[in-house]
Amino acid sequence: MSRMDLNRFETLVAAYGATPSRWPEEERDAAEAFARDHPRAGALLAEADSIDALLFAHKAAEPSATLRAMVIEGAPRKRRLAGRAKLWWSGLALAMAGASGMLAGSAASAALEPISANVQMYAHEDVPALDYSAEENVL
Amino acid sequence: MNPDDPDGELVRRVGEGDVHAAEALVARKLPRMTALAHRLLGDRTEAEDVVQEVFLRVWKSAASWRPGAAKFDTWMHRVAFNLCTDRLRKRREVALPETWDAPDPAPLADAEISAEQQSDAVGRALASLAPRQREAIVLTYYQELPNREAAALMGIGVDALESLLARGRRALKARLEEADE
Repeated sequence: MSRMDLNRFETLVAAYGATPSRWPEEERDAAEAFARDHPRAGALLAEADSIDALLFAHKAAEPSATLRAMVIEGAPRKRRLAGRAKLWWSGLALAMAGASGMLAGSAASAALEPISANVQMYAHEDVPALDYSAEENVL
Repeated sequence: MNPDDPDGELVRRVGEGDVHAAEALVARKLPRMTALAHRLLGDRTEAEDVVQEVFLRVWKSAASWRPGAAKFDTWMHRVAFNLCTDRLRKRREVALPETWDAPDPAPLADAEISAEQQSDAVGRALASLAPRQREAIVLTYYQELPNREAAALMGIGVDALESLLARGRRALKARLEEADE
């Protein structure tokens, strides 16, 4: 606990007022102990308390709704990832449709020309997910 | 991220463009910044201009915010405080309004004074204080900054802050008593 005397207590209360929670943390315990024990502390605290009451009678201006809206309007926002993702998926779908069409055409050719089937298989072996020999793709 | 900074996580999310985090930060800080600017400047319109500028800087800095020794709230206070003192300096360079140092003659303690009237009277007394006294009182009492933070913001030592606080409190009381006579 830091040392407290009348001089320091007077300075403390004159600066920070009568509420111990406003006193510097490192001196609070010592000041509270001094306030309990010293006969002059009560008068000093009462004087400071009257000024505290005046100070805290002042009510702060509330921010207007317009100000709040203008401030929020300027906040950074994520890019519209949803829209971009939608576009990306549309592109992928188009690409897939194109690939299906190509495969369907290839499979149809294979069905009509069985001799070249192996060649077509090699040409599209990098697209294993598609079963291009299926009926719907052939027709 | 500084784990001791209660605003750190929110600021990080603001930097990522999370608009909900931005709204939460505004809810948390806008009243505080408005009160600070209004009490320092004594003018609502100017205070709102300052607050907008503070948040513009917040939005610009959020993505790159790297907490050092100072907490985000302290950084915001520094920005707002500097903007206010710049305006006050310019105001003094141009001309001091005639009413600036004159306490309002309206009585304060007459029989049944309303809370609003009392608040107005204290506001006028606060505005009439010497600027440095007013700054010390606003930062310490209304913004509730620890004494070292308030002193650092003002560029002074704790002893000087305490002296300004004590003189400011005495002057405030005297102005209100004058107004009451």
